[in-house]
Amino acid sequence: MRLRLKGGRVLDPANGENGVAAGAMRDIEIEDGRIVAPTGLKADAEYDLGGDVVMAGGIDLHSHIAGGKMNLARLLMQEDRRAFPEMPGNFCGCGGGRAVPTAHATGCRYAELGYTTVFEPAMLGANARGAHLEMADIPNLDTGAYLVLGNDDYFQRLLAAGAGQEQVNAYVGWMIEATQAFAIKIVNPGGINAFKFNARKMDLDEANPHYGVSPRKVLTTLIRAVTELGLPHPIHLHGCNLGVPGNDETTLATILATEGRRLHLTHLQFHSYGTEGDKRFSSSAARIAEMVNANPNISVDVGQVMFGQTVTASADYMSQYRNRGLASPKKSIGMDIELDAACGVVPFEYKDKSFVNALQWAIGLELFLLVEDPWRIFLTTDHPNGGSFTTYPHLIRLLMDRDFRNAQLATLNKAAQAHTLLAQITREYTLEEIAILTRAGPARILGLKDKGHLGPGAVADIAVHAEDADREAMFSAARLVFKGGRLIVKDGVVVELAQGTTHVARPDFDRSVDTDMQRWFDEAVGLKAQHFRVSDGELRNGAGPTILKCEGGAS
Amino acid sequence: MAEVQTIENVACGFCGLGCDDLAVEVEGRAIRARAPVCPEAARLLRRIDVPDPVARVAGEEAGPTDAARVAHQILAAARSPLIGGFGADMAGAGALVDLAIRFGGVLDHYASDGLFRNYAAAQRTGWLSTTLAEVRNRCDVLLVVGDDPAATWGRLFERLFPATPLFADQGRTVVFLGGAPGEKASAQLAGASIVHHASADPVAALEALGSLVAGRRPPGESFGGIGAEALAALAEKLRNAHYAVVTWNAAELDDGDLVAERATALVDTLNLSTRGGVFPLGGRDNIIGANQLLLWRLGYPFRTAVRGQASAHDGALFATQAALADADVLVWVSAFRPEPPPDLAAMNFTGKLIALAHPETVFDTEPDVLIPVGTPGVDHAGTVFRMDSIVSLPLGALRVATLPSVAEAVRRIAEG
Repeated sequence: MRLRLKGGRVLDPANGENGVAAGAMRDIEIEDGRIVAPTGLKADAEYDLGGDVVMAGGIDLHSHIAGGKMNLARLLMQEDRRAFPEMPGNFCGCGGGRAVPTAHATGCRYAELGYTTVFEPAMLGANARGAHLEMADIPNLDTGAYLVLGNDDYFQRLLAAGAGQEQVNAYVGWMIEATQAFAIKIVNPGGINAFKFNARKMDLDEANPHYGVSPRKVLTTLIRAVTELGLPHPIHLHGCNLGVPGNDETTLATILATEGRRLHLTHLQFHSYGTEGDKRFSSSAARIAEMVNANPNISVDVGQVMFGQTVTASADYMSQYRNRGLASPKKSIGMDIELDAACGVVPFEYKDKSFVNALQWAIGLELFLLVEDPWRIFLTTDHPNGGSFTTYPHLIRLLMDRDFRNAQLATLNKAAQAHTLLAQITREYTLEEIAILTRAGPARILGLKDKGHLGPGAVADIAVHAEDADREAMFSAARLVFKGGRLIVKDGVVVELAQGTTHVARPDFDRSVDTDMQRWFDEAVGLKAQHFRVSDGELRNGAGPTILKCEGGAS
Repeated sequence: MAEVQTIENVACGFCGLGCDDLAVEVEGRAIRARAPVCPEAARLLRRIDVPDPVARVAGEEAGPTDAARVAHQILAAARSPLIGGFGADMAGAGALVDLAIRFGGVLDHYASDGLFRNYAAAQRTGWLSTTLAEVRNRCDVLLVVGDDPAATWGRLFERLFPATPLFADQGRTVVFLGGAPGEKASAQLAGASIVHHASADPVAALEALGSLVAGRRPPGESFGGIGAEALAALAEKLRNAHYAVVTWNAAELDDGDLVAERATALVDTLNLSTRGGVFPLGGRDNIIGANQLLLWRLGYPFRTAVRGQASAHDGALFATQAALADADVLVWVSAFRPEPPPDLAAMNFTGKLIALAHPETVFDTEPDVLIPVGTPGVDHAGTVFRMDSIVSLPLGALRVATLPSVAEAVRRIAEG
């Protein structure tokens, strides 16, 4: 099967091509789902792009799309489902919701925006099988999941007992394989565990009340583990003290704690709060961006806040419990989970007239605009925690259009306006930078060599957008989207459902750990390790995962 | 004679507790579970070597293709199908949702009363809950509301109270508020202190307990049949617990919704100063897994109607009993056990009945189409969820299947 996309302006930063700036048009050729060098052969189908902008399919490296906490959110917020019923033209009758859309709606809405790959950033080992079943029901997207580690009692016990790095590495390798994960996420390192022992806060150097282990130790040990196992993505960190004014100091100390090793700080906006001003809540975006700029080992995604009703869902039960008084509507769910982790679900409405919410909005944008290297910052709302991913087009316009941004700022809470330097920032993102933030950059930081670009050999995940000076309009509805070479979106409407794949990473590790894992599951968890493990055949309705073999080895 | 083969570490999908350490003897097509196994699982796993029944259409034996075709025709002509029973593994549940999307239909599980009593609390205020391994290792005070649950979940206390928990090793107490613990519970709780407060009105007792835990002394000498002093002492015990857990079986409690609400409020108060969670019991025949699937596929739990490519949820209107009043076809699914449909004649149901049923199911009314199906974890592999909605288990096949799975049977019906 050969397709030819004719006359597009190709925007492919990974390969240094900017047909938009150059005003150059060319064809892109696809053979059996992959991009190939142009040939003169007859194509089975041709699409005339008429100078439209062609990019690789979007990649979202942090969006909560599957797993038990999302179902708890759906259960708690039936209002969201009722307010956003099935879309017209929906051809399987099972889409709906906005903050917590159904699997079907997730796949369809992302595809309409030109996205083709999305990573679930907080899969619990105990819930891995369920999360994979749910991901298999998301159409049109390739997926993958980061395993939450660091708060589990097995790991805390290892550290408390002074286990060597090799033992930790074997455990991490075993867990990645058993849960079919792609990367390691740490959520509030050790804090979720400490909350089970009734600690209510946890700073970077505070000792766990039971194990005596500090978050710093959790972080540095797991950074070493993923480095030595050769996992492509660095530790994906949701840091300590999420949402707490003054957590800027924790964030800066966390960056220093890496001692130059790679670390990804996720939803950095929620971790960039100072305590200045009469309300004791201020932006530290400038300080933190400066630190990020100075440390090339650090990458970040923003977790931009967007105004409106959403529901927050996180493994960080400690923080979610602390914030549950802010729930709107007034209800929330929390759950301690399986000596593994936890979750907290708190509905939330971000209000533009609220000082705190307006300043959160501004802090996110300040981070976007002050972090200089577009390859180290990624476009996220921490869906649905800062807002739904469906707001991405609006967010892109805020980044690309200063007048629009300042006009929005002028409508917000007045005190918040006085507390942000956003109005003075002149930077406007270019289209090329947006392409880096939303495709080329995520592919690079995830180690996905055949994604995020349009060179020969790349998976033919392609988004075509008609250029429009209104960038929100431009990115709201892709003109064409191809998934693995199949046309799935035409003129902003899903025309076909494609089955995606799930990316997993496979490190080598010392398999002698298996005996101890069996003992742990038998005695402590009360479940057989063999039943905890998710087999390849359980993914994607029997199709199995797409495996990225890690280079690094069991050193 | 076939050789006897013993299979270890068999996972069990019947009651929702998710035991996965069973030993099962398989001899040809005969199956017999050995200890450790609860009586319920032993009964439901037992198979003797008899030929499986074949499909029937209007009481007459029929080939699988004919049965599927007739079922397809009935559904194609249906105005308002109800897909009930819903005893199916994850693949079967997915196929049933597909069937509803294709033909329309209300979706409910036969054991959903308990689930929705709990949801009344969970959806109004939310709740703070916990899972099996947490209770097993952390819980130092467990409050059991209602009757002894060991009658339904035969190994519950064995699973929750191992000899050597990781943390709760300084004495564990189990307080039965309602019925007395039976012999089985007492034996499994040999390492814990057992307290029993008899009560015929656990809602009143829980409400007073909630006030006491919050530091308020409600007026009165006795609440739900328990003396104020005894309740005050219990409140003190809960407040001093490191990790207190409240458990109940809403399906067996007439006021299950109120018990869930009061237990939720109690645990909420406890978490202001110490830690704990609710641990609601349930989960029979993969109701939790199928409900999870509905939530991610449709955005709604059970008791949802799919019509005209859109879904609507109503916990009262789309419950089996109420939905039957409007239904013209009942698709009854029960693969885990021979659970018969409700008494259709008594409910004046005059529509068609399509049954995808355990081969030993006894019907009061002969189904218009009967397709015997295999049991997940016996005849074919499958996935089921545990009662806590977080952990799921892979069930293996114990013998070569001669009956189709629910997923297969539904696919054949859809194809017609």
